Amino acid sequence: MSDLAQRQRRIGRIAAGVLMAFAVFYGVFGLMIEYSFSSDPIGPRGFPAGLAVALFALGAWYWLVPGSTEEWPGQEGRIAALTFLVVSAACVLAMDWIGFVPAMLVLMTAIARLFGANWTLALVNGAGQALLWWLLFGPLLGGTLPKGPLGF
Amino acid sequence: MSFDFLWQGMGVALMPQNLLIGLVGCFLGTIIGCLPAIGPINGIALLLPIAYTSGLPAESALILLAAVYYGAEYGGRISSILLNVPGDAGAVMTAVDGYPMARRGEAAKALAISGISSFYGGMIAVIAMTFLAVPLSWLAIKFGPAEYFVLMVFAFATLGSMVGHEPVKTLLGCVLGLMLTTIGLDATSGAYRFTFDQPELHDGIEFIILVIGLFSISEVLLMLESQVKGTLKPLAVTGSYPSWAEIRYIWWPSVRATVIGFIIGVLPGTGASVASAVSYTTEKRLSDKDGTFGKGDIRGLAAPEAANNAAATGAFVPMLTLGVPGSGTTAVMLGALMLYNIQPGPQLFVEQPKLVGGLIASMYIGNILLLIMNLPMVQVFARMLLMPNWILIPGITALSILGVYTAYASVMSVLIMFGIGIIGYLLRKLGFDMAPIVLGFVLGKVMEVNFRNALALSGGEFGIFFSSTLSIILWIMAIAIVLVPIWLRRRQAARAAAGQPA
Repeated sequence: MSDLAQRQRRIGRIAAGVLMAFAVFYGVFGLMIEYSFSSDPIGPRGFPAGLAVALFALGAWYWLVPGSTEEWPGQEGRIAALTFLVVSAACVLAMDWIGFVPAMLVLMTAIARLFGANWTLALVNGAGQALLWWLLFGPLLGGTLPKGPLGF
Repeated sequence: MSFDFLWQGMGVALMPQNLLIGLVGCFLGTIIGCLPAIGPINGIALLLPIAYTSGLPAESALILLAAVYYGAEYGGRISSILLNVPGDAGAVMTAVDGYPMARRGEAAKALAISGISSFYGGMIAVIAMTFLAVPLSWLAIKFGPAEYFVLMVFAFATLGSMVGHEPVKTLLGCVLGLMLTTIGLDATSGAYRFTFDQPELHDGIEFIILVIGLFSISEVLLMLESQVKGTLKPLAVTGSYPSWAEIRYIWWPSVRATVIGFIIGVLPGTGASVASAVSYTTEKRLSDKDGTFGKGDIRGLAAPEAANNAAATGAFVPMLTLGVPGSGTTAVMLGALMLYNIQPGPQLFVEQPKLVGGLIASMYIGNILLLIMNLPMVQVFARMLLMPNWILIPGITALSILGVYTAYASVMSVLIMFGIGIIGYLLRKLGFDMAPIVLGFVLGKVMEVNFRNALALSGGEFGIFFSSTLSIILWIMAIAIVLVPIWLRRRQAARAAAGQPA
């Protein structure tokens, strides 16, 4: 077996282990669901219990036959993905405090940078998209967007 | 039954004022549909008070709202195909084959094919509604919890088509999708399941959060990986329209999907997402001999599009004939009828021929208008993909965030979407397909609720699932859809073996 196939097999087995552990966690929490009354004989615990058993059994099958996986990203790819997720989460969390337009300006600029734009283009893109989406989903379509101290 | 209502309705629908209203409705619907943040239900809810207070007569108001509804079903496909961000719930399966076509430079063809199949689905469904609305209304009444449960079993049976060379991954995806439906308030017992005292989880995981996370955010992460590797290139867009042969080729898949979509649309509480999912899996089961579905097969694109348009039309049947809305959007439209003091029911076709006829006639005209409007726009929409990635991908991310934030006004919902996106990315890297997860999610809730309701009705007797003719027909169909393809394959293999020289 080649190194790549062995690596894929190992990754598949780790995933199967995670899924089986999740099945146990889900099943245990499913059996702890509290309820005082149910009009049906199955109750709110029955379906989750059945699914937990199914997931565990399928997880075991997956562990036995891990199949193939795609190539995983290198360190640079992982850093880029992490940057995207951290900046996105930070901007989403900050939206209610600083407002929609400033948060989106930062996020759009950061993503444009990740996708190869230079700083000038990224900033122009960030400002343009932040304003475009605010105009479209705010004043034009009447959506409720976070306001922040500047009012947008 | 007399069809006078249709002729009277044609007179109403062809009035210049109503033609204009229909055109405006179709245009607004298309725009509303292609924005993931705003579904037809929001669009109609926004327009209803405007239509009422501006003094529009009831038939004009209904024409406007209906045009927005089926216009949105056309529009939902645009962002699905171009960006892998489903514009509305019914357009999720459109992305499965539409997006790969766009990635290989056939965005214009994919948009045109989906527009034409939407037209097929919409038109055939309107014809069915014209002639079968009243007779079909019995179907909506006959479907009790047991029949709904068996219908879901049938839908799961069609899932056999999704099983590829790694069936365990398909089944795992399906179970994960089912598990997601168990989060939130259990309507039968009032218990909170897997909410961990988080109020944001009390209503469960919303469909739109799941699909945007799974499809759009995971796609952005994959594109980012390609960008870092230097393999992400700007897309080519060929201007080719489908050939006549291709248009003819999608006719039968569209017809089959329309039948499925229309019937599911007639059943209250199911909707376009179930219709498109079941029609896709059925079509894949019937037609995917070469394993091309999911890789940009035009039949896989045509089937869900025809089905979701047919379902949108089918949802009008119980609304008009019984006063029971077939979908959330028709529930709002039922409110519109109530505003005008109109009582829906079988007599509506006799008592309000201009209203019902005007609505149905406007659908014939609306579908033609939408096709005429959509086909020339195909090139314009497709050219969106020529934008540099540093404009396009921030735009996809913004639309994803807005799609969730404007629907639920909650930062936590957006964060959940990103969390689902990360899980989707990891699963895609592990070789999982996203479609079974979505199908498990779409079908799971209806399945569990109806399973338990049926048992509550029968006092725990499982015989209720075999007690009606409809249930038995559905069981037979479910068994047949699993066994017939296996039997056909074996027969084909046996014939091939017999034909080989010794």
